Amino acid sequence: MNRRTFLKLASLSSVSFAAGCSPESPKHLYSLVQAPDNMVTGKATWYASTCRECPAGCGVIARNRESRAVKLEGNPLHPLNRGKLCMRGQAALQAVYHPDRLRSPLLREKDGFTPIGFEQARALLKEKAWAAARKGPDRVRLLTETVGESQTALFQTALRNWNSRPPLVYEPYAYEALKTANREVFGVDGLVSYRMDRADVLLSFGAEFLETWLSPVEYAWKFKAMHAAAGTHKGLFFLVGPLQTLTGANADYWLGCAPGSEAVVALGLVRRMLDLHRGRHLAPALRQALLQATDGHSQETVLKLSGIPLDGYERLVGRLAEAKLPLVLGCGSGLSDENGLRTNLAANLLNLVLDPELKLIDTARRHRVETAGRRVEVLELFKTIAAGGADLLLLNNVNPVFSLPPENGAASALDRPDLFVVSLTSFLDETAQRADLILPVKLPLETWDDYCGWSDVVSMIQPAMGALSQAPHLGDLFLEAGFEGEPPAPDFKAYLARRLQTQGRIRDELEWLRALQQGGVFPPTGPTIAGAAPLSLAQQLPAALATPYSPPSAAGLAFAAVPSVRLFDGRGANKPWLCEIPDPISRVAWQSPVRMHPDTAGARGLQSADIVTVRSHGGSLEAPVFVTEVVRPGLLVMETGQGHGAYGRYAEKVGANPFALLSAATHPGCGGPSSLLAEVTLESTGRRLKLANTDGSRTQHGRAFILTTTPAELLKGGPPAKTGLTMDNFPLTLPLPEGYDPKRDFYPPHDHDHYRWGMAVDLDRCIGCGACAAACYAENNIGIVGETRITQGREMAWLEIVRYHDERRMQRVMFMPMLCQHCDNAPCESVCPVYAPHHSAEGLNNQIYNRCIGTRFCSQNCPYKVRRFNWFDWEWPEPLNLQLNPDVTVRSKGVMEKCSFCIQRIKEARTRAKNENRPIREGEVLPACVQTCPTDALVFGNLMDKDSRVRRLCDDPRAYQAMGYLNTKPAVIYLKKVLHEV
Amino acid sequence: MPGDACIMGLFKDEAKAARVIPELAAAGFSFRRAHSPIPSHRILEALKLKKGRVGWFTLAGGIVGFFLGFALAIFTAVQWNLIVSGKPIVSLIPFFIVGFEFTILFSVFGNVIGLLVCSRLPDYRGLESYDPRCSGEHFGVLASCEAGREGELMDFFQKKGAEVKVFA
Amino acid sequence: MTNLTFAQIDQTVLNTLERPRPRYWLFVALMLCGVLLGAAAWTYQIFTGIGVGGQNIPVAWGTYLINFVFWVGIAHSGTLISAILHLFRAGWRNPIARAAETMTVFAVCCAGLFPFIHLGRVWQVYYMLPIPTQRLLWPNFLSPLMFDVVAISTYLTVSSLFWYTGLVPDLAVVRDRSTGLRYKIFRVLSLGWTGTHHQWLNYSRGYLFFAALATPLVISVHSVVSWDFALALVPGWHTTIFAPYFVAGAIHSGLAMVLTLMIPLRRIFRYEAIITLNVLENVAKTMVLTGLIVGLAYGTEYFIAWYSHNAVEWESFRWRALGEYAYGLYFMIICNVLLPSLFLFKKVRRSIPWLFALSLVVNFGMWWERFVIIVGGVAHDFAPHAWGFYAPRLVEYCVMVGSFSLFFFLFLLFCKHLPSVSMTEMKETAHHAG
Repeated sequence: MNRRTFLKLASLSSVSFAAGCSPESPKHLYSLVQAPDNMVTGKATWYASTCRECPAGCGVIARNRESRAVKLEGNPLHPLNRGKLCMRGQAALQAVYHPDRLRSPLLREKDGFTPIGFEQARALLKEKAWAAARKGPDRVRLLTETVGESQTALFQTALRNWNSRPPLVYEPYAYEALKTANREVFGVDGLVSYRMDRADVLLSFGAEFLETWLSPVEYAWKFKAMHAAAGTHKGLFFLVGPLQTLTGANADYWLGCAPGSEAVVALGLVRRMLDLHRGRHLAPALRQALLQATDGHSQETVLKLSGIPLDGYERLVGRLAEAKLPLVLGCGSGLSDENGLRTNLAANLLNLVLDPELKLIDTARRHRVETAGRRVEVLELFKTIAAGGADLLLLNNVNPVFSLPPENGAASALDRPDLFVVSLTSFLDETAQRADLILPVKLPLETWDDYCGWSDVVSMIQPAMGALSQAPHLGDLFLEAGFEGEPPAPDFKAYLARRLQTQGRIRDELEWLRALQQGGVFPPTGPTIAGAAPLSLAQQLPAALATPYSPPSAAGLAFAAVPSVRLFDGRGANKPWLCEIPDPISRVAWQSPVRMHPDTAGARGLQSADIVTVRSHGGSLEAPVFVTEVVRPGLLVMETGQGHGAYGRYAEKVGANPFALLSAATHPGCGGPSSLLAEVTLESTGRRLKLANTDGSRTQHGRAFILTTTPAELLKGGPPAKTGLTMDNFPLTLPLPEGYDPKRDFYPPHDHDHYRWGMAVDLDRCIGCGACAAACYAENNIGIVGETRITQGREMAWLEIVRYHDERRMQRVMFMPMLCQHCDNAPCESVCPVYAPHHSAEGLNNQIYNRCIGTRFCSQNCPYKVRRFNWFDWEWPEPLNLQLNPDVTVRSKGVMEKCSFCIQRIKEARTRAKNENRPIREGEVLPACVQTCPTDALVFGNLMDKDSRVRRLCDDPRAYQAMGYLNTKPAVIYLKKVLHEV
Repeated sequence: MPGDACIMGLFKDEAKAARVIPELAAAGFSFRRAHSPIPSHRILEALKLKKGRVGWFTLAGGIVGFFLGFALAIFTAVQWNLIVSGKPIVSLIPFFIVGFEFTILFSVFGNVIGLLVCSRLPDYRGLESYDPRCSGEHFGVLASCEAGREGELMDFFQKKGAEVKVFA
Repeated sequence: MTNLTFAQIDQTVLNTLERPRPRYWLFVALMLCGVLLGAAAWTYQIFTGIGVGGQNIPVAWGTYLINFVFWVGIAHSGTLISAILHLFRAGWRNPIARAAETMTVFAVCCAGLFPFIHLGRVWQVYYMLPIPTQRLLWPNFLSPLMFDVVAISTYLTVSSLFWYTGLVPDLAVVRDRSTGLRYKIFRVLSLGWTGTHHQWLNYSRGYLFFAALATPLVISVHSVVSWDFALALVPGWHTTIFAPYFVAGAIHSGLAMVLTLMIPLRRIFRYEAIITLNVLENVAKTMVLTGLIVGLAYGTEYFIAWYSHNAVEWESFRWRALGEYAYGLYFMIICNVLLPSLFLFKKVRRSIPWLFALSLVVNFGMWWERFVIIVGGVAHDFAPHAWGFYAPRLVEYCVMVGSFSLFFFLFLLFCKHLPSVSMTEMKETAHHAG
């Protein structure tokens, strides 16, 4: 939807929010004689809110149909995510409609939990709290997820009333090292934001900013702003680290260093830059200090310790030295150990050396997750509790039992008999299981709140749908329980409004409404105050830099747990979409394989799908092997998120939990944990597991699916190469009459009726994040088939991110969104005996479900293999079915289906255009995948309109069609990926 | 003629049976029909019969089928008028297959009908003046004569070395 | 050929129609169970979804289509023997023509079932028939599958009529040698055939036209079946030689099945005097020819794949020989080309055990040929990211057992209740010989 319609609808909706929305779906259908004035049956209304799937806080708009939120999209007005949303954001809906969502509070009794009424539960909470408060100071403790300022304020007041200290924010990934480094170098004890979009050279030591690091959607668009090929120019992205995650896979150069040796490289680079006279503007004293500190980091030592090849290192040094606006990012979220801290310190210093004004570092615009407590504080809390230091523990939607290494004894602390644990969650996860009272509260899509992903924005959270349960709003709960006398406000909505007013964020009712309409109060876009120069950097450098690096024993295997782009720290694991969409690197769904380099596997006679046992001092787990070149030899890598013992039908007993291996130790310097283990043992169980992978071959055998080019080639330009009929020289043949040539085509061209829909896919912009795939699942009611069926090759994804390794350099990974190509000469059409697939007047390759009899010939004859067959009737356990898009048929068993270019959206746009009797505007139709793509890699439009963006992209020298030489004349035009010469 | 007696001579030898046929007329008897376990060229030659007319039915069927096949394919394609795989709505080359198969099918229908019509099957009346041995190893020649000449006819057959069967 | 008298011929054949022994009914019952098993499996599949089979994306066609092609292939030699050899006046076809035609009819029935079993929504199958509806929904006659519908149904009709026409004079013979109920039945079935010169005149004429029409038909049918694949663009399918290749293969497998059926039949029904060793030997000789043609086709495919310089095509054939399904390729080469060429040796040709064994081997090999083509092609086609594998599942095996049971069930019933050798044609042979 475009901005205007959004505003129209939003204003319509938010005036009288979710009123008239009923909890249950009606058994009988009655015509609405008096419909609520904001609800027109069959017409969607949109509510602006904020995504709370991770601490980033992207703005969303929820599509509401007959009081049910059926789709989430990024809020186009929100400065942080600019209308885009990631995979996890898309899947937030499935939490609301989750079949295992708790409908009523549960109270622990001798024989397990018994459901009780909400009134009783709220009373119990209040009673317990005040009882504890009377006992003395700090008898009530609150461990919460990251929440907005208003909620925090309320927490604090309530806890103060209970005569206890402020809440502690628990995030498994709390960026302790980064915060410390920022404090030491920038004098900012928090998480600054980066103006990555303006950088020309980007160097990361492992920060997975396209997946989970700080604010993935924001950094995705910023990254492509600097890294997408603009004409012949393209920014550079170096990765130094022992492994590639999705972010690493987008690096132009991966310098694989020994696990734990990033700091050495970073400091080595500081030294080289100083030697190369970058940062001569620094205070001489500081320069001296730096030179001293980096004395031991001559190029030789660096190369020796890190194992980086010389040529790669020199290229990095060269490009960095001549960069105009370079930006250096530290290491990954999980690394807050010695190495992590030193790397982040060195990275910050490197930024300082390279650009003394720190133009790309915005210390004023801060990421909200900075409020998260350090791991050491969290452990302290559990120690206190274990020692009987509290009577009441409130847990707000956190799952430490799952995400803390078992040694930390979180579980045992909770089990303490004299402690009353209240878990404010809607799902029975590992932590809730140990609570005495589980009190479900409304989920973000149903509640009132605000959030500030950036410290300078207020992002509103408002109910986007009818209530599915009687659960209270979190705020109301605390207003009720936290005040003996008259609470400061009748309900949290009022509290919120008042607070925003006192804060001066809004002035009056009107601004409140505007805030609700637009999704928040946003600063004028553009940078805030320029990055402050380092304030407090004392002339002597942080002590951490002094400590020398000791390489781990060569023999041992290292183990790294990395946050998953799909499941994050595990909170995504109960959402079927996220489990079903395969991991971008391994293309394995549902399972949690342990990645290792072919050499590592070969040396132990292992191959993919062998089940191995990984043992550490902390614990052990079993997982299937996945062999890949994007990990350094001697390192095992697992993604976090799977391996739940509870947390609902979709998460339970799926995969393994790498947190269980990690060590409980925290770093004295920054008080953070480490997700890297220097020493684990690996043994084969002799068993094998059929991997639920959706890919066939990992390389494309020289076929014309993903094509690449180089800036040099683009620069050359020149006349188009001689065309022929082979895979390599077949010309671009548009799915339009001009695309036909008697020399190639046996049949005459055919015309279309005003529109010929087509899509352009810029492979250079695609980062492989899979947001499009998730959006497609959400929009088109695509069935979830589960692990076994995927192993049988029955996945249903209409749009999949194909992952290929570069045959010449296996460690280079490339991504390609593969969807129905809506060919002009579609091979699938003529083979169908009943015309179920056929060519529409607007060039779409229609698939008529009711007509399909399931011969499956179309799929056999599709060279792109994008057609999906309903082998069974798929299930949407209640109330998941409430999420189904009313505009899209739910397919029954025995019929073929595939991408329709979101034909329902095309039809909606056509109706609108018809009523206003005008043609459909450029950009008026946005298929779900196009709408959500964080990097704008997908462009949809009318190929018959010479000025449409998609048509203009067809003239780009990088334009080509996948396997075009089959002369199917696809309407999906790919743009070659631009690779910097290797 | 009514009242005429029908007498069948049953020969073990096809040649004899064939030779008898012309002689019957000479002897003033009228030949009715010949039964044989296998198609007998000698008998047909003796009767100087020209080829059957089955072929015409077959040909007619074939022609009908050919046009019917094309007509069906073209008519249905035009009814929906949907483009598939960028091919023209009416693509005669693929339709030829339909045309061809229909040609064969209807030729065969014509052939069967022709067969039944020409050889007047099914018809169970023939069984009344018929000797089962004729489907075994005997060639039967059925002849008739005016009342009173039965004896002569029998002798005639017996002389030729046939067993004789009389039908009332 | 044979020097039996008409009487002896009648006797030998009519003896086979004596009241069967209990053991026979046991076999019939056994086969019936097989049929029921298959039916049950199919029913289960209809209610649960086609997914109970092993098909997937990319390999959306499995054993159902393999068996379809297999049975259509079997169905070919019947018409070949009765029609083409009839035109060539090859006398040795007479003793086996009847059984072969019957085999054809039943095999087409089995084949015809599989497209139904294969469908995702078999209850909507009538969409494929040109039935006028008020929405004017018609089938798409551009689709190879519609070619199939037309060709297979034509073939079934024609071969059944051909079979029955050939049967009429023999039915008369049975009628004339029987009494009571059987007389009544055969009186009707034989349409009152009395073998008058007039009937024979038209009959031989009509039969000749039948043969003349069946010949192009039989060739067209398997060509059409081959176009189910050749008209797709899948590497390994999209080749022009498919039509002759499939026809030869079909005849190859058909002749093998003829031997598989004839050898026991000959033994049980004491047909030695009628179905002489020479007859079997001639079948074997023909199989050498068809085997070599098939072998040539295999070779040509590889040559073209290499000669075309088409990377995709070549990779597909490289994989066929070295990939996961390579064993299938070697099965088909050994069983369809190498082993049948043992028939070049007279000793082998004239040894019943060898004939029988090799006939089974070829049946096996031809099934695998279809596996290699149907599964192998798409499992490794254009899109490497979608490459995948296929293995049949229990339901498919049950259906397969069901189809074989159905075939033998029908054949068992036939050979005890209808003359399994054409007496009339045998008499002709004997007549012209003597």
